[in-house]
Amino acid sequence: MSRENPQTQVFMINLKIRRFDPDENRSWIQKYTLEASRIMRFVDLLRKINDEQDPTLAWVSSCEHGQCGTCSMKVNGKPLLACELLVENAIYYFRTDTFYIEPLNVAPVIRDLIVDFTKAYDRVDQVKPYIIKPVLPRSEGDEFPITPQELERYVNATRCINCFCCAAACISSHETFLGPNAMLNSIVRVMDPREQEKEQRLKILYGYQGVCRCHSSRACSFVCPKEIDVAHFIALAKEGRITKLKS
Amino acid sequence: MTSPVVKRPFERLILSALESLPVAAFYAKTRGWPFVIAWIHRLTGIFMVVYIWFHILTLSSLAIPSEYDAKMKYFGFVFISFLEWLLAVPVIFHALNGGRLILYEIFATRNDESMIRWVFGLAVTYVLLLGLLMIMGNQSVSPIFFWLTSLIFSVSPGYLVASKIWNTASSLAWKLQRISGVFLLIIIPAHLLFMHLQPAIGHESNVVITRMQSKFIKFVDLTLVIAVLYHAGYGLMSILKDYLKFRLLQNGLTILIFLMMAVFGWIGIRLTLTL
Ligand code: SF4
Ligand code: SF4
Repeated sequence: MSRENPQTQVFMINLKIRRFDPDENRSWIQKYTLEASRIMRFVDLLRKINDEQDPTLAWVSSCEHGQCGTCSMKVNGKPLLACELLVENAIYYFRTDTFYIEPLNVAPVIRDLIVDFTKAYDRVDQVKPYIIKPVLPRSEGDEFPITPQELERYVNATRCINCFCCAAACISSHETFLGPNAMLNSIVRVMDPREQEKEQRLKILYGYQGVCRCHSSRACSFVCPKEIDVAHFIALAKEGRITKLKS
Repeated sequence: MTSPVVKRPFERLILSALESLPVAAFYAKTRGWPFVIAWIHRLTGIFMVVYIWFHILTLSSLAIPSEYDAKMKYFGFVFISFLEWLLAVPVIFHALNGGRLILYEIFATRNDESMIRWVFGLAVTYVLLLGLLMIMGNQSVSPIFFWLTSLIFSVSPGYLVASKIWNTASSLAWKLQRISGVFLLIIIPAHLLFMHLQPAIGHESNVVITRMQSKFIKFVDLTLVIAVLYHAGYGLMSILKDYLKFRLLQNGLTILIFLMMAVFGWIGIRLTLTL
């Protein structure tokens, strides 16, 4: 599997990629074998395939720094960001040099590894992930001060990039549950002291597609590339602790 | 991309054995062990729903004691006793894991890894204790004392959970699921334990009927039937909702589950009141 010096080590990698051709409505697995150095990322592997073997393989990425959430996909069943997965880490973690890559099952596939993110976002949009009714700024100055204690409670949740890895891993987000990231987006705004409109939010959060659909399986926290403990925030909502500072 | 941190050697041994299980190992690697445990919770729950229906139907023959005694003859066989003992495995796992989930969701217990250890440790202890009691047989205890104690130990955490979540915005149905869950967490394993203190307690119609003459025991049994069927019905419904897209279908199946639980509830309640 590998040759020589660990610094210049090269691996022969097999990628089995689930492809989809919308014109013929055909899905199949295509195998690619390629040389890869240890610090290449999975997005680099896909690009290498495009450059050297198959320009028709469709996939998507944007920032390639784990900040935009566009390159999320499943590698050997695990939802993750392809821009964050190094070849050597993947080999170590999955104990293989063969990787099965497929799109996230959170929305219909457009082509190969590209899913229709607008459809996936429909679920997030339902929780209105923005400030609906801002608290009026103080008379002196425009800034809205938030105490460190207040911020500390939910700042981690604000790091969500809506990559939908958690939604793909969730035990219950197939049909009715809006999904862990939608819940997180809603919880952030409920905890956000700049937001006045809480009632509307609580209705959605505790409605039939809300936190009651979560079974605390914690897969969301396990896969989250931003290391957000999503299940913790959902549990806070169940406990009724998100609306007040102290329990 | 890290595996759960495990320090103790025997845990490493158990974990490496578990990691060789094909399906469980795949999901542990891609979703984490709590996800696998959530599936076990789900499967044991479904199994118990079916078992409860069967249990209520079996008990319904107490209305004709000779019929009940004829059925219970089979329970004298070693193999059937072994199956009865085995039944404790899904029951105690589901109960303790449910307790762990309640601690996580309602009491902010976030050291979940050690909670999982407790679930498995206590489950093994309980199953072994039950096996020992079954082998020893002929233990005696006052039913009133036993059930009064069990009731106090079940109602108190139920009350605690209720007081924690009652004023949250969650639906009443969800709250009742948690409250019934924590109530059953103690009373069901207690029920199983009681039934195996001596073979006659559950296997001889005259002993069962005499015990059920007590108004207090009737009250305990009624509470048990209602809590179990509610908890089972909500659990089934919540699993179905994960896979059914259309609200109409969901509502249709919810009504169907409600009717089924109501029928079994009726059988159980009628039996308890008429004996
Ligand atoms: S919570 Fe984590 S896994 Fe889920 S969408 Fe946000 S960043 Fe991605
Ligand atoms: S904890 Fe809840 S939201 Fe997170 S994966 Fe499990 S069921 Fe889904």
